[in-house]
Amino acid sequence: MDGGMSYQRFPKVKIREMKDDMVKFELRETDASVANALRRVMIAEVPTVAIDLVEIEVNSSVLNDEFIAHRLGLIPLTSDRAMSMRFSRDCDACDGDGQCEFCSVEFHLRAKCLTDQTLDVTSKDLYSSDHTVVPVEFSDPNDPGEQRGIIIVKLRRGQELRLRAIARKGIGKDHAKWSPAATVTFMYEPMIRINEDLMDTLSLEEKRTWIESSPTKVFDLDPVTQQVVVVEPELYTYDDEVIKKADAMGKSGLVEIEAKEDSFIFTVESTGAIKASQLVLNAIEILKQKLDAVRLSDDTVEADDQFGELGAHLRGG
Amino acid sequence: MNAPDRYERFVVPEGTKKVSYERDTKIINAASFTIEREDHTVGNILRMQLHRDPNVLFAGYKLPHPLQYKIIVRIHTTSQSSPMQAYNQAINDLDKELDHLKNGFETEMAKHSREF
Repeated sequence: MDGGMSYQRFPKVKIREMKDDMVKFELRETDASVANALRRVMIAEVPTVAIDLVEIEVNSSVLNDEFIAHRLGLIPLTSDRAMSMRFSRDCDACDGDGQCEFCSVEFHLRAKCLTDQTLDVTSKDLYSSDHTVVPVEFSDPNDPGEQRGIIIVKLRRGQELRLRAIARKGIGKDHAKWSPAATVTFMYEPMIRINEDLMDTLSLEEKRTWIESSPTKVFDLDPVTQQVVVVEPELYTYDDEVIKKADAMGKSGLVEIEAKEDSFIFTVESTGAIKASQLVLNAIEILKQKLDAVRLSDDTVEADDQFGELGAHLRGG
Repeated sequence: MNAPDRYERFVVPEGTKKVSYERDTKIINAASFTIEREDHTVGNILRMQLHRDPNVLFAGYKLPHPLQYKIIVRIHTTSQSSPMQAYNQAINDLDKELDHLKNGFETEMAKHSREF
């Protein structure tokens, strides 16, 4: 039945910048539906591990139990293992209460303030039963040497916090705490063409005011030739300001800007749960799994074959 | 508390089929596919891929209601093809496209890790 024509595309990728928590890449020769599916999957369907169940033994802090439980849930945990873990709801090694090695990780936190100095309880005070799943390293960009934890609560003299927490695998669709993406965006690559003949009719002052009309610095004046040049096309936000300005100056068609519909620039930022580059790869893998899940089952095809015969018969075939 | 479980949004209930197929009774070579627990992510890529097939006369999807976690994909083809054939072809092509994308991304990653 199959084996007809293939209408497959062969998209091209080019990574521009790759850091642990950020990647910027170009995606070409595909369409917006694929780019958007990737973005959606990265945000809502790539699994991570996050605290999902908290048992509080002692809490004499100023924050109530559920407030602390919520804050614990939002702490990103290193989730490189998440893709191979099980969801606790379909784990058969445990009752789904999440205490087995396949689907959960246990954490303990014990903190008591014994001095007059306020005690910061941070993600560094969380002790994990599994060294592969720990709160992410977090440092101040202005002071990269020192690792600072994420503050959970502050305690004054005599206050205490003691709890047990269970982290589980989950996806952002369930709760945003499981989303590995801080931001995922893509934009169409802009094609900017200046009508040089028309541009030459502008005085230097007019050129300057026209350049100034763009909210972002897309254009500039060449210091040598005094010509208007495109310095950074990707700063263009499709705001149409320069086009309106040209119209107002009576120079319609001074610049032509179009969005290349098969060319995208992605910016992916991760929360630190997984590397940004891994996030992209996991998203592709998840999308493949999703497509595989929507294939027609054999019994559906079989039922239709019978229907087909019946239909052909009814039609007098 | 009678709130429905959050996972009801993305876990297919037991005894329900992920994809069901229903032929159009009036038009030949037209059919609807009901896909349980999927949304625009899958619906839109399938639709756009189906549009690349010249034998597909119509392809569209809808999310009938935001609280009904399913999509309906409707396909109408020429007599040279069938909705089922077009549907399978679209999935296969997308799958291969993503394979290609994955390989491309991995080679680029290797290139970048060498540079730094």
